[in-house]
Amino acid sequence: MAILIHENTRVLVQGITGRVGSFQTKVMQEYGTNIVAGVTPGKGGTMVDEIPVYDLVEEALSEHEVDVALSFVPARFAKDGAIEAIDNGIHLLVLTAEGIPDQDVLTVLHYAAIKGTRVLGPDTPGLVSPGKCKVGVHPNRVLKEGHVGIVSKSGALSYEVCKLLTKHGVGQSTIVGIGGGPLWGLTQRDVLGMFEEDPDTKVVVMLGEVGGTMEHEAAALIEKDMTKPVISLIVGSAAPKGARMGHAGAIIEGAGETAASKISALKEAGSLTARDPAEILSRIKTLGV
Amino acid sequence: MRLLEFQAKRLFSEHGIPIPKNVLLKASTDLESLPYPVVLKAQVPVGGRGKAGAIKPVTDANEAAVVLNELLSISIRGNPVRAVLAEEKVEVQKEFYLALLIDKLAGLPVIIASDAGGVDIEQVDRESPEQIVKKYIDPSIGLSNYTVRYLAKRIGVEEHLRDFVKLAYSLFDIFQSYDGTLVEINPLAVTANGLLALDAKIVLDDKAAYRHGDLFGRLKDEQTQSGKNGRSRAEQLAEEKGITYVSLGGNVGMISDGAGTGMLTLDLLQDAGGRAANFCELGGFGGKESMQQALEVVLANPRVDVLLISLIGGLTRMDEVADGIVAYLKGHEVSIPLVIRMCGTQEEAGRARLQTVGIEALDDLPTAIRTAVDTVKGS
Repeated sequence: MAILIHENTRVLVQGITGRVGSFQTKVMQEYGTNIVAGVTPGKGGTMVDEIPVYDLVEEALSEHEVDVALSFVPARFAKDGAIEAIDNGIHLLVLTAEGIPDQDVLTVLHYAAIKGTRVLGPDTPGLVSPGKCKVGVHPNRVLKEGHVGIVSKSGALSYEVCKLLTKHGVGQSTIVGIGGGPLWGLTQRDVLGMFEEDPDTKVVVMLGEVGGTMEHEAAALIEKDMTKPVISLIVGSAAPKGARMGHAGAIIEGAGETAASKISALKEAGSLTARDPAEILSRIKTLGV
Repeated sequence: MRLLEFQAKRLFSEHGIPIPKNVLLKASTDLESLPYPVVLKAQVPVGGRGKAGAIKPVTDANEAAVVLNELLSISIRGNPVRAVLAEEKVEVQKEFYLALLIDKLAGLPVIIASDAGGVDIEQVDRESPEQIVKKYIDPSIGLSNYTVRYLAKRIGVEEHLRDFVKLAYSLFDIFQSYDGTLVEINPLAVTANGLLALDAKIVLDDKAAYRHGDLFGRLKDEQTQSGKNGRSRAEQLAEEKGITYVSLGGNVGMISDGAGTGMLTLDLLQDAGGRAANFCELGGFGGKESMQQALEVVLANPRVDVLLISLIGGLTRMDEVADGIVAYLKGHEVSIPLVIRMCGTQEEAGRARLQTVGIEALDDLPTAIRTAVDTVKGS
């Protein structure tokens, strides 16, 4: 078990022929991901690493069964690719593009909700269940199968944590990147709830940052509904107010959006907190996971 | 991008939203010609300008000249005033609030109205939330007429219902057609001549600039001419090249290949007693060229004594960013030490390339941070 994906997940890659899409497809295959088809408009009939490429999602689905669509479609065209995946009944859509206009994201998220598609992202590194399946861009070498569930706004920060955990023999159940905002499909709260239900996950690590108020919503869930221990690391204590810290959503605009306010809300809700990846590791060791 | 008041009001006016008569004062403007009494308003992108002394009523040309000079010599919360708008003074009977914005948590546009206009809306939300009325908007349906009528009834502006509905639709049109993330009228005044937008705030989504021709660029140029800020060379370069860069005032330069890692690096640098000169992040698709550009931007700041590069490749390939570092070092004289932490996708290839220019990349972030801090302290 793991959340959202498993050993047999069949993946469709949108934007498979691009520089990033083709490279990451190869890396995912090396990891063992079952990529069954790719889509790039105008490239139908070609192959990428022996994976057939189609012009349209509908054509790919007439030949293959697909559980997840992973989109490497660039920001300007991401909305159309997403609507295409949703129209074709894809259950889980992973949107990696950074810089999609907010109004396009609103339309996609709203349409997905109506049609019953779950969206991860945008601006997400994707997700991976080590040893089972990787639908994303996490560096293979930092991953190890185990029982720590990780939900992160930042891809890079989750790699930092995985790298250290893996080095010390602590494996992960699923690592979910929800994206850098300011709008999200699946939220920290959604993913925490899934980890709570997942028998393979014994402890959850939540990696958050300044900007928005999503961590407060997560804190409320931790307090009310989580029985598993949650260790939180919120970055951006050194971030000045009003500056956009790389992620579109990482900007302090109001009182509840600072690192200090989120850390204190999480502490109050009963989450353990950590200042850096090393402290996350020592907390997990103390918990005996 | 947050527009200045005069830019936002120009958009309002073009879309049929009534605004007071105004003139953007230039050196050539004849102050004698203004319809006194008028209000002089400093054009700076901050809220609460009234309290900050950025808005002053004047009664004649002599007073206007004195106040104009005074306003042009001050800064409002770090923003030097370089442009002033003169506006007719109007008799206000009542003030309302009306805005459209994107609710990040709900993932929906929302229209917000209140009968508590003219004050900080966040303060109203804290102190008397019952005075704020909100309705979410389905993006596939748009703004419904009944929604606007509902708001009008709840805040008590029914007497001006026709104008209010027209104005709400104009506001929604601006929000949608210009990729707004916030379009706000505060206060929306009731005067003897009906509704009037006394102030205007518009924030546009920079991510959507590509689909508006050169509009966003022209608005930005106009702000630069109006002296929106006195920026450093590094900040200007960063904007030209589209690099994420935040100036922080210390002497440890920083480049990361992810926002989260970058923020973690800054936090830990602070804990270790170091002072960051900047935050700079390549974004997920960083390659050779963006690394060269980031180096150019960060090293344009003369206060940088050591450069800490914090890399943990996922989408970013270490061989590509290493090529960028090597190319930059071959083309430029760099006199300060570089501390590089490199791991992740293609890290062996990346390390090997750095070795060709005599750089041994570190693997561990805390070690890299300590090394950078020790280097500064030692020098």
